[in-house]
Amino acid sequence: MSTITLPAEDNTTDDPRRRAPLTMGGQTLTSITETVARIAERPRPPRAWYVAFAVSSTLTAALILAAIYLIAVGVGVWGNNVPVAWAFDIVNFVFWVGIGHAGTLISAILFLFRQRWRTSVNRFAEAMTIFAVICAGIFPAIHIGRVWFVYWLAPYVNQMAVWPNFRSPLLWDVFAVGTYATVSLLFWYLGMIPDLATLRDRATSRVRRIAYGIFALGWRGSGRQWHRYERAYMLLAGLATPLVLSVHSVVSFDFAVSVVPGWHTTIFPPYFVAGAIFSGFAMVVTLMVPARAFFGLKDLVTLRHLENMNKVILATGCMVGYAYSIEFFIAWYGGNPYEQFAFINRAFGPYTWAYWIMVTCNVVAPQAFWFKKVRTTPWMMVIVCILVNIGMWFERFVIVVTSLSRDYLPSAWEYYRPTAVDITMLLGSFGLFFTLFLLFCRYLPMVAMAEVKAVLPHHHAAGDWQTPAPAEPHANGESHQGIRYPDQVSEGH
Amino acid sequence: MMRPTATLRIHDDHVTLAALGARAFPLLAGIGLAALALAAVLGAVRGDGFSYFFHSYLTNYCFVLSIALGALFFVLIQHATRAGWSVAVRRISEILAANVSVLLVLFLPVLAPVLLGSHALYEWTSPAAVAGDHLLEHKSPYLNVPFFGIRCVFYFAVWWLITRFFLRRSVQQDHSGDASLTLSMERFSGPALLLFAVTVTFAAFDWLMSLEPRWFSTIYGIYYFSGAILAGVAAIVLAAAALQASGRLTMSVTAEHYHDLGKLLFGFVIFWGYIAFSQYMLIWYANIPEETVYYLARQTNGWAGVSLALAFGHLLVPFVGLLPRSMKRRKGVLAFWCVWLLVFHWLDMYWLVMPNYSPDAGPPFGLIDVALLVGLVCLYLASAVRVAGGEALVPIKDPRLGESLALENF
Amino acid sequence: MAEKEPTIADAPGGAVAALVAQFAGPDELVEAASQVRDAGYRYWDTHTPYPIHGMDRAMGIRPTVLPWMVLAGGVAGAAAALLMQWWMNAVDYPYIISGKPLFSLPAFIPVTFELIVLFSALTAFVGVLALNQLPQLWHPVFQSRRFARATSDGFFLSIEARDPKFEESRAAELLQSAGAVAIDVCRMPATGREVPTGVYWGVATLAILAILPPLGVAWYRSGAKKLPRIHPILDMDAQPKYRAQAFNPLFPGGMASRPAVPGTIAQGEMDENTALYLGKLGEQWVDEFPVPVSMEAVQRGRERFNIYCAPCHGLTGEGDGMVSQRATRRAEPNWVPPLSLHAEPVRVQPVGQLYNTVTNGIRTMPPYASQISVEDRWAIVLYVKALQRSQHATLDDVPEEMREKLR
Repeated sequence: MSTITLPAEDNTTDDPRRRAPLTMGGQTLTSITETVARIAERPRPPRAWYVAFAVSSTLTAALILAAIYLIAVGVGVWGNNVPVAWAFDIVNFVFWVGIGHAGTLISAILFLFRQRWRTSVNRFAEAMTIFAVICAGIFPAIHIGRVWFVYWLAPYVNQMAVWPNFRSPLLWDVFAVGTYATVSLLFWYLGMIPDLATLRDRATSRVRRIAYGIFALGWRGSGRQWHRYERAYMLLAGLATPLVLSVHSVVSFDFAVSVVPGWHTTIFPPYFVAGAIFSGFAMVVTLMVPARAFFGLKDLVTLRHLENMNKVILATGCMVGYAYSIEFFIAWYGGNPYEQFAFINRAFGPYTWAYWIMVTCNVVAPQAFWFKKVRTTPWMMVIVCILVNIGMWFERFVIVVTSLSRDYLPSAWEYYRPTAVDITMLLGSFGLFFTLFLLFCRYLPMVAMAEVKAVLPHHHAAGDWQTPAPAEPHANGESHQGIRYPDQVSEGH
Repeated sequence: MMRPTATLRIHDDHVTLAALGARAFPLLAGIGLAALALAAVLGAVRGDGFSYFFHSYLTNYCFVLSIALGALFFVLIQHATRAGWSVAVRRISEILAANVSVLLVLFLPVLAPVLLGSHALYEWTSPAAVAGDHLLEHKSPYLNVPFFGIRCVFYFAVWWLITRFFLRRSVQQDHSGDASLTLSMERFSGPALLLFAVTVTFAAFDWLMSLEPRWFSTIYGIYYFSGAILAGVAAIVLAAAALQASGRLTMSVTAEHYHDLGKLLFGFVIFWGYIAFSQYMLIWYANIPEETVYYLARQTNGWAGVSLALAFGHLLVPFVGLLPRSMKRRKGVLAFWCVWLLVFHWLDMYWLVMPNYSPDAGPPFGLIDVALLVGLVCLYLASAVRVAGGEALVPIKDPRLGESLALENF
Repeated sequence: MAEKEPTIADAPGGAVAALVAQFAGPDELVEAASQVRDAGYRYWDTHTPYPIHGMDRAMGIRPTVLPWMVLAGGVAGAAAALLMQWWMNAVDYPYIISGKPLFSLPAFIPVTFELIVLFSALTAFVGVLALNQLPQLWHPVFQSRRFARATSDGFFLSIEARDPKFEESRAAELLQSAGAVAIDVCRMPATGREVPTGVYWGVATLAILAILPPLGVAWYRSGAKKLPRIHPILDMDAQPKYRAQAFNPLFPGGMASRPAVPGTIAQGEMDENTALYLGKLGEQWVDEFPVPVSMEAVQRGRERFNIYCAPCHGLTGEGDGMVSQRATRRAEPNWVPPLSLHAEPVRVQPVGQLYNTVTNGIRTMPPYASQISVEDRWAIVLYVKALQRSQHATLDDVPEEMREKLR
């Protein structure tokens, strides 16, 4: 067993002879519990949390007010009008559903690929998935116009003796997003049960013990329980993997089954899925970087985790660029004048600004991740990831709005402009997302403790079991001069 | 943890082809050449200007090519993800991939007639067909003989460079044990994957999609890719199983590797189904005649049977078959499914190409197809045996070999 | 550490319920587990903060049936989805959408896939909880103080008293010899209260609250109501306008509706030709068409009839239109089936009366004056007359040169 010394806080150096450690700062079982559980147990979160919460809850209030106004007055308060009958509502819906894809990808697909580094970030990403799906669900529900009839989408026995139309992709959406929300929630909750039990067992007040206790369901971490739990987790991962592909594919069907130029193209399903993962990972990195700094998680969510995610962003960014190029090529190659017009119109028509924002942010910006320096420097990656998020929002804008604004009937062509309500609801949905996210950071275990413990190099309990030595979370890791590379730690085989 | 037994295992193993290669090469090459000659005679006897021969040749060529490309993708993705589990079978895939020079030679029967002015295969090569056809005239800046030739050269050049780079580095490491070679392979795997994506897509467009020059589908490149991965991984499993049957690699490749390869197969069975369904459903639903002609030709005049056979044999049956854990861990059973998948992958290639030959008369099949399949596969394998030479069939000094040998699924 | 004598802690309480032993680390626990397994206990378990590799084998746990349950869930999902879509879209409510077949397999695959995943995932989740017997908020091992660390960094093994082989001293000996570093004796609570009563009250309250909304919906839906049942948004219910016959203090006599100015006629109301507009002359229904009768008019009437009338009356006027059939099949209480247009009472009606029925409606048939122009209404009447004749034709109606063919 050889050891090499690395600078503190850096586990991004590649040495094929041994796997880099997944966690830094000589973590033990006790220190992991302490680091993670203390965040939820702390009586007061950092001041930045309050500031962020004030801003995001204000935006959420704005979203609620805008929604009430819209429901009371009608969808005419949005800028949607013929021919652009779908606009911000569907753009936001697709954007948020896309963001929601990272969580399941990290928890399910990386699990099946035995990417052990996922354990530090999966809880975080799964929570984001659920919040993003909540944000996504708001828009289609409202855009049907009479939101109080939204239950008509469900196939229930009714006095009208009619059934929903299962040959419509919009109904597929209901089932896909509904299933996705349910399965993501189950997956998230199932993964959290052992950690909730940890919080229950550490609780100092009766209220917390009962609250966490109820949700921990009486988990005892028993060998028989773990056996079935691991099976269930793997089964859910196996189910969630094709599910995550199907959800954004079904969203893409909303467009691609039509005959609208720029919407009907066979590459849409995989292209949407790649784009969804792309935007989702960018959002995870955008939030993970400040969260690990504020909550002292730098040793658990290391630079290597961020670098790996940035590589996924680079890969999916290239896939998105591939899809853009193939679409353009086939638009020409296909020889259909409407299709050609749609694409030239995208790039050089009235929405040319949106198109080039999209290309710059989605295709050019992530190329920076070819450089290790960018992949491993937090502020740089945050900039790239924010650009990617902007770009992916504009991608949906370009697809939805430019194709509709100039469709087959030139006399109906119209330049779509969002109204104040549109913009308020977009910002408000971010507010809702961050509000839920901040509450999650405050009250629930942000890192899957049990899973991180399972991939710790040395399965040893804390030094002395009788006097638990609460290891201080090494917020900055200055105290570590060097680390030893253990033999068996691996981020994946 | 690298078990002590794991490191010992590799030293006791037979890891080279040695004498087997010397025996197999002339046999394979001989059978291959004889079969191709037989096919050429059969093609000439038909008296249709070699039209059937060329179509069948393209079918079988694309089948063999997809094995090589699938194996190449396997190598690249393992490096890109710094995978450790697959090291024990990586050399096999490197060898299966690195036959580009033979594949180039074998491509000449497709390329040469196009360059020499035959229109048997591609309608757009005929000036008479192009003239007056609005769509073909529109596409002629892309679909023209010189540019077609240039693109072919480009694809083969890229594949040759990539496969050679990775095989050479890997073999070099066998001798030097230099870990930095792994790093350099990892570094180049990213750009190589980009090149791979572009070349495979456009090769599929050029060689297969342009058989129906008025039809188009943006997902076509991914469709060919998804089948190629399946073929590549299936070939890796079969190669490993065959080598083990000959007493080689008996200790380095274990049930755990088969299990993981089986999982990949299972995943790509679903992926192929997903891509095929996406293409079909979108065209079926939008119902635009310029697109539906493609499927119309494949569900009338006896072709519906082939299409259904693909839906069942390429997706549903192997899905159920590969689902249980035990199916993937038993070498013999997994080998059966690999053969099954290769058969249906061949049928997939047939389904892509042959409806253009006989849209009305139904699926043709004859001795010539068998002869061409045997000929191309044998020559490809002969080349693979040559490439393998006397080198190890496992990257014996790969720094992650220990991890791969100690692999355990849970 | 294993050589040290373990501390044995016992707290006051009822009968012994379980022994909980702590071990130094995962390896020691795996070793101990295999010893306890070999000793033949049944109700015992290990407790660890994370799943230990190799523990299944050490404890002799047989593979769970969960995968089979999930497979069954998936098959059920597929069957449910396909049957549901087939029944709803191809059988019970057949409706052609964009030229697709009623049972469109490609279009039904997305929902089928989603339901396979949904059913399987729900089965996996419910299954793992059920097999693990969760939620189980109270368990004897929670009596152990030390046990709180089982979810953080402690490694425990428990043997329950309900095990037939359990005997306190023997079990403790076994645990000691297996290397326990500490043993806690867990007893049944003396008070008999395992979970705080507040928890039960809370759960009960939540359950009742959860039942209330569906109950409310069921109650509201069960009775007959004149007003829409759920009517939260009053869209255009309240409009700032006066209705006919309403009171308006601004005008003399309080009439909101303004009568026509004497001696004037509003645009479009110049209907002094009562035969044409009302189908009447004086009090008598007209018996002659006030419009020119032509083949074009019959064709026009047929087209309009098939659009406006046929849904109820049927294409031949037999009263067997789709709406009527469906309403009859569903036994709609307020449905009056349309009379056959070939019935005697209808056949004898003068054309003016038929025109009047189209214009003003009759029984449940609504008036069509606002939808069909005067000329088209007459054209429909013309076509109805032609229809009636077609059903009661005699040989004399057939042109002479064609009569031979019918014999």
